[in-house]
Amino acid sequence: MFENLNYAIVQLVHNFGAAAVVGFPVLGWYISGQASPVLRKFAWVVGLSWAVQAMSGAGFGAVSYYYYQTFPDLHGVAFAALLIKILCAAGGVVIAVKYLRQSAAWTPKRRRSAWGLLSLLGVTALSAAAFLRWYA
Amino acid sequence: MRKFQALAASLAFTCSIPLALAAEGTVAISSPAEGAKISPKTDIDLVYDISLGDKGDHTHLYIDEKEILTLRNLKGSQSLGTLAAGKHEICVKVVNKAHTPIGPQKCVNVNVEA
Repeated sequence: MFENLNYAIVQLVHNFGAAAVVGFPVLGWYISGQASPVLRKFAWVVGLSWAVQAMSGAGFGAVSYYYYQTFPDLHGVAFAALLIKILCAAGGVVIAVKYLRQSAAWTPKRRRSAWGLLSLLGVTALSAAAFLRWYA
Repeated sequence: MRKFQALAASLAFTCSIPLALAAEGTVAISSPAEGAKISPKTDIDLVYDISLGDKGDHTHLYIDEKEILTLRNLKGSQSLGTLAAGKHEICVKVVNKAHTPIGPQKCVNVNVEA
């Protein structure tokens, strides 16, 4: 009973994180032409959401290990999809941090590129999740 | 105090029901047989019968510890094609929704002889 609850809580966090790492960058890209202070808040949300994604992703493995002393068994396409998701998370955190530290000195074009890249990472990770789910 | 004891007893009983009724999964492989000797030109058909139990979601098929595919049916046969000469281990493991092997599994060893 608690096993399913634990998996469900991790899944819940992961699902909302997924929505955030796609939704906020797309919105940020859409309004990036304006010099809006809200974009910095978006960058915080996106960076933290990617960190949450990494931790909740590890959470699936942690719950499995707690109950079965083994990790999820992923091979081939599913394993490649997992690696892509991990790289997206790392890239998302790096870009969000760079944005928060350096974007004041960036040109509008570069800021827009950053939001475009964050959107691309979110979409890629979300797509990889589908392959991870069905090829494992 | 007596009410508290009755409540504790009923809680303990209620909580123990799912454990008592929890069904373990099972995996049976009827072909190939354990220790079967097979020609390298022979297509191997895996014939299996699976019960996922309460916690199982699907199964993974492995050859020599490498996951080959997911068995979508609980009973039937799956063509494995031919295997290279040598000893091979064919395993079916019940996994949960997180793709974690949860215990029930069956492995058979076959010998492909040239």
